[in-house]
Amino acid sequence: MESDNLAYMELAIHQAKLASESLEVPVGCVIIKDGEVIASGRNQTTETRNATRHAEMEAIDNLLEMWQRDGLSKAEVAKNFSQCILYVTCEPCIMCAAALSFLGIKEVYYGCANEKFGGCGSILSLHSSCSEPFISDKVPQRGFKCTGGLMASEAISLFRSFYEKGNPNAPKPHRPLVQKKVE
Amino acid sequence: MNKQLQQIIHIPPNPPVPPTHQSTEKVYAALIEPKHANTIIRRLNQIAPLQNLQHLKRIQKKQLEGGKPELYVVLCLASENETQSDRMPPDVEDIVNSYHLTPFITEVNKFAALSKEEWEEQCKLWPTSYHPPTYNIPGITGFSEEDSKAVFNFMKSTVELAKSGDHLIVNAAMIVDPLFGQIIASACDEVCSWHTGTSKAKTETCGFKQLEGFTSHVDANITTEDITFLSNGSANNLQQFYKAVSCLNPWWFAQQSFHSSPCYCHPLRHAAIVAIEASAARDRHLFPASGHNEKSYGVDCNSSSSGSLAKRQRVNLENVKNSGEQDANTEGSNSLGRPYLCTGYDIYLIWEPCAMCAMALVHQRIRRIFYALPNPETGALGSVHRLQGEKSLNHHYAVFRVVMPELEFPVER
Repeated sequence: MESDNLAYMELAIHQAKLASESLEVPVGCVIIKDGEVIASGRNQTTETRNATRHAEMEAIDNLLEMWQRDGLSKAEVAKNFSQCILYVTCEPCIMCAAALSFLGIKEVYYGCANEKFGGCGSILSLHSSCSEPFISDKVPQRGFKCTGGLMASEAISLFRSFYEKGNPNAPKPHRPLVQKKVE
Repeated sequence: MNKQLQQIIHIPPNPPVPPTHQSTEKVYAALIEPKHANTIIRRLNQIAPLQNLQHLKRIQKKQLEGGKPELYVVLCLASENETQSDRMPPDVEDIVNSYHLTPFITEVNKFAALSKEEWEEQCKLWPTSYHPPTYNIPGITGFSEEDSKAVFNFMKSTVELAKSGDHLIVNAAMIVDPLFGQIIASACDEVCSWHTGTSKAKTETCGFKQLEGFTSHVDANITTEDITFLSNGSANNLQQFYKAVSCLNPWWFAQQSFHSSPCYCHPLRHAAIVAIEASAARDRHLFPASGHNEKSYGVDCNSSSSGSLAKRQRVNLENVKNSGEQDANTEGSNSLGRPYLCTGYDIYLIWEPCAMCAMALVHQRIRRIFYALPNPETGALGSVHRLQGEKSLNHHYAVFRVVMPELEFPVER
C-alpha cells in the first residue's frame, strides 16, 4: 500500500514537471479509482489567464467531461467521486479543498504543505468540516480523509527550482522604483 | 412597517467586537499631584514602558463636580495576583514611596479600538487613542453619492441577471471595471446546465460575443418543483426555494438521490467561478499576443503529451527572459492596456460566496466584492469564514454588503 502511494505520487510529480516545462507553477495531481489512474491534471493558470485553473480543477473537469460523455447519471457520478482518491503534490488551497469536499471525494494525499493558502489544515481545515449534521434538514457538510507529507521534499524542490528561475508570469513587483530610476 | 434604507456596509477583515466585550487588562494606577505629572511620566516611561498598551493614555484627567481636576497615572501592569501591591517593580515602588502615592488596581482595554464606537466605549474605562485605519481601497471609508449610485445600479443588474434563468432562483455574478463603468463578464450558477460541448472548446476558440451569453439553462427536474414553491408563496419553504443557489447549498451534489437521467451537472460551476472563466476568456480574446508565453498558448493546447511541445516551450523560455526586460520599460502602457487578471475590478454577487468562490476571487485578484444577501451556513466573507482577514493570503479584497430593501428578492419577506 505504501509503495502504491509513492507510485501514484510519482505520477503527480510528473504532472507537476509538465507544468514547470510549460512555465506554470509546478503543481500536479492524479485521481485514482479502484486502483486505476482515471484522471490527471496540472496547473494551467498562466496559459488560461484564469488563476483558478489549479491541477485539481483540471483533473476534476476531465473526469466530469469523461463521465458525461459516457452518459453517466448524476447518482453514478456522485458515487464515483465518493470512491476517488486524489494525489496532489501540494496541499490543496482553500478553493480546491472546498471543491473536493463539495464533490464528496473519498481521500486526499498531498506532498508539501501550503502555508499561505492551504485548505487542509494550514489556513483552514475544510477537509474536516463536520459541522452539526442535519441542522434544519440541510445537507450535512462533507469532509474527506487527508494525509500530507508524501514525497514533500520532491514537491518542494520543484517549487524551488521554478522560483529560482524567476516566475516570468508573476505580477509586476509592487515597488518597481529601482527599475524606473535606471530608465 | 419599518422601512430600511438602502446602504453599503463594509464587512471588515476582523469580526467586530461588541464594545462591552473587549478584553481588558489590570494595571496599577494612582492619583498624583499635577505639579509632579511631567517628572513622574518621564520616569515611568523609562522604567515601566507600556509596550503592548501603546493605545493607552498614560495619564487621565478627571473633573470632579465643583472640585479641581484630578490627575491619575498608570504606574505599571498588575500581575494576575491582584491583592499584592508589593508585586510592583522596585523602581516603580520608589516612585510610589517618594511621592507618597496610593496605588490601586484598575482595568484598561487590552487592544486598540478598531472603530469609533469601540473607542468611545473604551474611554469610559480609561482613555485610549484611536487612529482610524487608512485604507487604499476606495469605498472602505465611505462612498460618494455618485459611487453609491453606481454600486446600487450594478447590484440591480445582477439581480435581474439572477432572475433571468427560467424561474429558478440562482446566484448571479457580474465582474465590473469601476473605472469605466464597464461590465467585464457576467454569469449565473451553471451547476445544473453544463454541457461539455459548449464549455471548454468554445471558451478557447469562440468570439467574445458568445461568451457574454453565459446564462443558465436550468435542469427541468428541479425547476418544476421550485415553481410550485414559488406559486404557493409559502414562507416556510424558503430553504427549499433557494436550494438551487449553489453557494448556499454546495453539498447538494454528493448527497441527493437523482433520477437516472444523464448527468449535465457540474457541481463546481458556481456563478463566481463561471464569471471568472468568462473574464479570462475575454482577456485571451482581447489581448491574444500581449503576454509572454503566448506562442505556447493556443498552438498545441490539446496535445499535452507531445514532446515537441515541451521543447518548443523550452525555446520560449529564452524569449521570456528577453521580453521580461522589455516589459519593465513599457510597463506603464502595458498595465493600462491589459490588467493582471482582475486587478482593479469589482464583482457583484447576490449571495455571499462560499469558501471555494471566495478563494477563487482571491486568486483572480478581484479588488472589491459586493453582495446583497448573507450566506449564514457556508458564507466565507464574514458568516462562517472571513477570507478578507486571513493575513497569510497574498491578496486581500474589500468586502461590502449592499442592502437594497426595494429589491423584492423573496428571501427576507
